[in-house]
Amino acid sequence: MTADRRSGLLLAAALLPVAVVVVGGIGSTLLQSLGLLPVVGPARLSLDAYTAGGSDLLVSLGVSLAIATAATVIAVVLGASAALLVVSGGRWGRAVAGVSAATVTVPHLVGAAMIGLLIADSGVLPRLLGIPADAWPTLVGGPWWAAVIAEYAWKESAFIGLVVAGTLATRVARFDETASMLGAGRRARLRLVFVPLALPSLVVSAAITFAYTLGSYEVAALLGRTYPEPLSVMALRLFTDVSLTARPEAAAVAMVTVAASAFVALGAFAMLRRSAVWR
Amino acid sequence: MTVTTRSLVPQATPHSDTLRLPGDPGRPLTRSRGASRALRLAGAAAIIVWFALPFVPLVLWALAERWSYPAVLPTEWGLGGVVSALAQGGAAAFGNSLLLGIAVAALATPLGALAARVLTRDTSAGWSPGGRASILGRLGRRIATVVLFAPVVLPPFAAVFGINVLLLRAHIPSLVGLVLVLVVIALPYTAFSMRVAYAAYDPGFEEEARILGATRARVLWRVQVPMLAPALARSAFLAFLVGWSDYIVTVVVGGGQLVTLPLVTASAASGLGNDATVAVLALSAVIPPIVLLALVSRAGTSSKGAPA
Repeated sequence: MTADRRSGLLLAAALLPVAVVVVGGIGSTLLQSLGLLPVVGPARLSLDAYTAGGSDLLVSLGVSLAIATAATVIAVVLGASAALLVVSGGRWGRAVAGVSAATVTVPHLVGAAMIGLLIADSGVLPRLLGIPADAWPTLVGGPWWAAVIAEYAWKESAFIGLVVAGTLATRVARFDETASMLGAGRRARLRLVFVPLALPSLVVSAAITFAYTLGSYEVAALLGRTYPEPLSVMALRLFTDVSLTARPEAAAVAMVTVAASAFVALGAFAMLRRSAVWR
Repeated sequence: MTVTTRSLVPQATPHSDTLRLPGDPGRPLTRSRGASRALRLAGAAAIIVWFALPFVPLVLWALAERWSYPAVLPTEWGLGGVVSALAQGGAAAFGNSLLLGIAVAALATPLGALAARVLTRDTSAGWSPGGRASILGRLGRRIATVVLFAPVVLPPFAAVFGINVLLLRAHIPSLVGLVLVLVVIALPYTAFSMRVAYAAYDPGFEEEARILGATRARVLWRVQVPMLAPALARSAFLAFLVGWSDYIVTVVVGGGQLVTLPLVTASAASGLGNDATVAVLALSAVIPPIVLLALVSRAGTSSKGAPA
């Protein structure tokens, strides 16, 4: 067996589970949403599952996109700042790196519990600040999904910070010193050295963050309000519904989420192709 | 991509203790001074507060026997939260989470290393001796990369709804299916982490060992694995984290057969008045990964293996 064929077979062996779960799983969900894999009754191709909920599906899509956008924007800003502080060096840079590494290891569900304990009406933050419960805005289960966005932003800013700092660590110091020697001020160095070097990994991690937030269930279920619900909460509610005819609707919601995530991933990929740093 | 605290922050250059001309301030040119230094320190303090603040309720509530509103600190300290967490099955859930994480790490790390090795090796000309077109080729490698990294962007619950039906029809036990799906979710992270390590890996050591007469297996165990040990430890940690933190796949594919720590935490958190229990469960879910991260970072920086 030639080296090529063996390596091809090894790669296929490693990718087989992925192909089965991704292609098989999502394909099966697609078939369920089109009515071709019903739990009961004959298989019949139809788009009823997509239109059954009326405008609920579009409202949920809007909520999911809004939460994901807000969380990603905040996470990108804070993550880029954290990365900048980490590569600036010194004791404080190391402290920022350490705390963000600890934050990344926290599971999202546990993070949601922590944020709930912190900023609920009777949480630790209003107690520390001495603000009474009725003067404290409803952040958990409130109208603006503030606690949900805060949790996603908190954890994903640590993730983005570490990814960007990791890709910058070996490269930025030399360019920075050269620019400074040639007379560039702080702001010019930020604009001409830090931003271009950080941008590719920033785009990738922002896309990953957006896609993850779009498809995440735990945090929205724990800290969000009951109506309108984001796509993931709606999908799981329909999936575990007592009436089995809700299964195709759950699959339809899942396919809408897949489409949105794939769209975002393709957009990020298209943005990256034009950059020269594509590996 | 290294994630240790020491590797992210540039150390003092080795040239700093050599020749210094008079008037040389001895500091790098880019070091901040004055107002920008104050701004940097204030920004660092603010970011540290942002990251560390949610940990505070965890510690306070875990040690609180009673904490009536609106006291700033618990009115009564004690371990009632620990007792209540144990009563709700916290110990068994902790063990289940540990086993699940270890199972996912044990499977996802070798598979990810394998995929990364093939994907990086194929680019070097030395491995296509006959000059024949490689079976992978550029398109094949592109497709393989897309398939490999798809689980990162696609929502897990979408695949889980579908794979549940397939697993049931194939009569695969739910625990096996659960580990399979979690391995697939963890595979992109381990593959990417190992890919970075393999890119910096020098195959010359392997060739040298083969020339000296080592068998393929011996080369694997005595040359490759020790050189890649820090990267393998990092990948294993990432895969462990996937298994440790998962909620939705455990609920849907596991079907309630496996009760892990996130499940117990979620049920405690959705109730009322459980704050101390939730804090203890959350703390027990947070501490092991942090300990593991510290161990992996220490092993990564102190080892004399390949720079990864």
